Amino acid sequence: MSAAKIALSGGGVLYVEESHAVPLVSIAVSFRIGATSDPQGKDGLARITTRMIRRGCPGLTSQQVDAEIDRLGAEMSVDVSASHLTIHTQVIKRSLGAWVDLLVRLFGGPTFAEDELARLRRETAAEIIEARDSDRALAHLAFRRAIFAGHPYARSAVGTARSVESITVADVRGAFERTCTRGNLVLGFAGDVTAEEATRLGERFTAALREGPAHKDDVPEPAPLAGRKLVFVDKPERTQTQVLIGALGTWPHDPDHVPFSVACSVLGGTFTSRLMREVRSKRGWSYGAYARLAIERHRQSFSMWTFPAATDTAACLELELGMLRDFVEKGVTPRETTFMKKFLGRSHAFDIDTATKRLHQSLDVDLLGLPADYYDGYVGHVEAVTPDAANASIGARLSPDNLRIVVVGTKEDLFDKVKEKIPDLAQADVVPFDAE
Amino acid sequence: MTRDVEKRLKEVEKLNHAAGGDAKPNALWSYEGAVPFADSAVQRYRLGNGLRVLVLVDKSAPVFSYMTWFNVGSRHEKPGKTGLAHLFEHLMFNETEAFKAGEFDRKLEENGAESNAATWVDWTYYYENLPSDRLALAVKLESERMARLVLREPQVASEKEVVANERRYRVEDDVEGAANELLYKTAFTKHPYQWPTIGWMSDILGFTPEDCAAFYRTFYAPNNATVVIVGDVRESDVLAKVSAGYGALEASTLPVEDTHPEPPQGAERRESIKKPTTTEKIMLGYRGPALGDADHATLSVLNEVLFGGRASRMHRALVIDEEIASDLRGWVSTFRDPGLYEMYVSARAGHGTDDIERVLAAQLAKVKESPVTDEELARAKARLELGVLQGLDTANGKAEQIGFYEMVLGDPAAAFRRLDAYRRAGPGDLMRVARRYLVDTERTVVRILPEAS
Repeated sequence: MSAAKIALSGGGVLYVEESHAVPLVSIAVSFRIGATSDPQGKDGLARITTRMIRRGCPGLTSQQVDAEIDRLGAEMSVDVSASHLTIHTQVIKRSLGAWVDLLVRLFGGPTFAEDELARLRRETAAEIIEARDSDRALAHLAFRRAIFAGHPYARSAVGTARSVESITVADVRGAFERTCTRGNLVLGFAGDVTAEEATRLGERFTAALREGPAHKDDVPEPAPLAGRKLVFVDKPERTQTQVLIGALGTWPHDPDHVPFSVACSVLGGTFTSRLMREVRSKRGWSYGAYARLAIERHRQSFSMWTFPAATDTAACLELELGMLRDFVEKGVTPRETTFMKKFLGRSHAFDIDTATKRLHQSLDVDLLGLPADYYDGYVGHVEAVTPDAANASIGARLSPDNLRIVVVGTKEDLFDKVKEKIPDLAQADVVPFDAE
Repeated sequence: MTRDVEKRLKEVEKLNHAAGGDAKPNALWSYEGAVPFADSAVQRYRLGNGLRVLVLVDKSAPVFSYMTWFNVGSRHEKPGKTGLAHLFEHLMFNETEAFKAGEFDRKLEENGAESNAATWVDWTYYYENLPSDRLALAVKLESERMARLVLREPQVASEKEVVANERRYRVEDDVEGAANELLYKTAFTKHPYQWPTIGWMSDILGFTPEDCAAFYRTFYAPNNATVVIVGDVRESDVLAKVSAGYGALEASTLPVEDTHPEPPQGAERRESIKKPTTTEKIMLGYRGPALGDADHATLSVLNEVLFGGRASRMHRALVIDEEIASDLRGWVSTFRDPGLYEMYVSARAGHGTDDIERVLAAQLAKVKESPVTDEELARAKARLELGVLQGLDTANGKAEQIGFYEMVLGDPAAAFRRLDAYRRAGPGDLMRVARRYLVDTERTVVRILPEAS
């Protein structure tokens, strides 16, 4: 069941999902602009702007805001995706009114002080350096750039040291004025709150925003991939590697979106999937082995992800490429399809077992432009998938000859061995892990 | 006797009577009372074979969580065999007498289950979250693997490789993981908390099926387990099904735990390691209280004042004022025996751990010398309360709280008693625990240095 949907003054929309099981209220403040709208050379602007909102408003310094958030028993985090941004908050019920009052003050007139922005720029630069310690983060960043080369989806919501350094108060103020408008607002309340109370609070919040139309999505469709290309992220002393293999994936409005999702789950969506069985259970090569389809407003990626020991990397990559070819050429079996339909249909109970999860489904439908019955009709859509439909979708969406492959490892030990296991490799690039 | 208690005693009597005069004592229930839990209550039962069962009926979603907690963790291992408890977390998803390899997980998945397991120093647990009409399946699978696991060479060999890869992922190639391992290895010389739960690599690769079989026979038995069921279930249904599933299992003879307490440290210990990282990091471990110690909740409040969120003292000093750190956290270990009060700070490029230590020392001296403000205390308590409430959002979250506190403290509702203890903590209490535990001669320091330095 979808959350209650309520129109707000000025074009915004409010979703409310009520549950009084725990005295907590989640509030998601979303706007229909994301990282792809950052001006060229200003990657990271949407994220910096959103993080600046809590760093001072008339009458409260950044530190006083931090203290007030804690005093109320609240928390606040920022999530910037390609197409939208969300400030996730949660608060103890007794502080709900005071919490919304604080949000009104923060969004009504953020200070955007020069010294606070300078501090945040330095913090962000330090975080970018810190992120180099995560091989997984390095792999996923390189993968996104390889799959969406030249497309806005290749851009980083965090930004680069250089782009973040260039962001000015005028940039932040401009981004805030474009983004945080009534027309762009998608607001959500979940938990120990009634629809009536949420509407009243939602209107109070909306009144703090300036008038403005909803942002028009102008992101082009990503271009199909041609050939096999390897990006090797070179990092010293890796005893284990990160391996991502992928291509463009699916768009929720594709007629074969659900069949393709079911098929990919057979390949690597559960603990008994093909990848897990072959890579982990039979060979013990990687702690995890997954296939995943990401979704956004436009076509996103298909990926296979493993993290084998360095000594097993070349063999593991060869196995995965063979499995992918087999997946494309032979498809999935009726038995596998039936099994996966059972899993997806029955486990759906855990996609909707809390008010916050249900709210986020409604927000996703709105913010990602998903079909209206994407979640509400999910079980029925899955149930309708046939093996033929699943196999047709694999053939239509994937080609084992057109792939991007990312490996994070130590070049000296592995680069040549990895290349040997990729037939018809059109291009192989090496990127130092600390290149930016 | 309240009406609720009377009703449950009669239900148990009825079930035991229905089992018939020939029923084995192992399959007979006893009711051990209720423990208030938020606005409901956890009901305690025990089977004749020693299996403890805790039930919290929660109809907020048509699902339930089924957790089996075993009183075995890395503290029960011996040198040379470290990591065995964790290896079992993997092996338990393998072949049983009734289910071929892979069938256990397939059964769970085709019924829509979320399932996983976790091992730590004091305990191991397994769980399934299932739609509410699948209780029988959970009982069947869990009772089967509690007693009829098949441990053959191929499965053991394959899982050893998987665990070796998990170790590479979590320790060898993970800067913080490697430092944490070194911290505990250095801080503890007698107590088993000195070795990592995942085990030393040489021990992992050396396990035999015989090692596994001996461990299984010793620790995987109903009298060493607690089943926690939270969700949309009926208590009478739980009792009938659990009795039928586990009633034939025999209790084992559990060994007397032979653990040496850690002696006072007496002097600071320091280690450093070089890693392919771009910035220096530091990890400190002060001797901390056991979870059951009255000081634990108080020290946790102090930790919130020091490390909890952007308004905390350490964040303000290290990230905002001095701008020499990019990441930091503090945590009072939640172990059965005294553990560590851990602190971790990652320095920004251009700054070293000497700078970090200087600021840490100044801030720690302050909380020993003068009381924290009422505002700081109120913020810390509100943050802790938020954390407790967040843990109660799902059936799985509640089951984890109940199981964890039952295993470590013998009290399934201890989360709420801790919440009361947080609320009682005053500025003087915080100053006292700061003076008692933040003692330099009782700490261990691990520095992580970039390889180029």
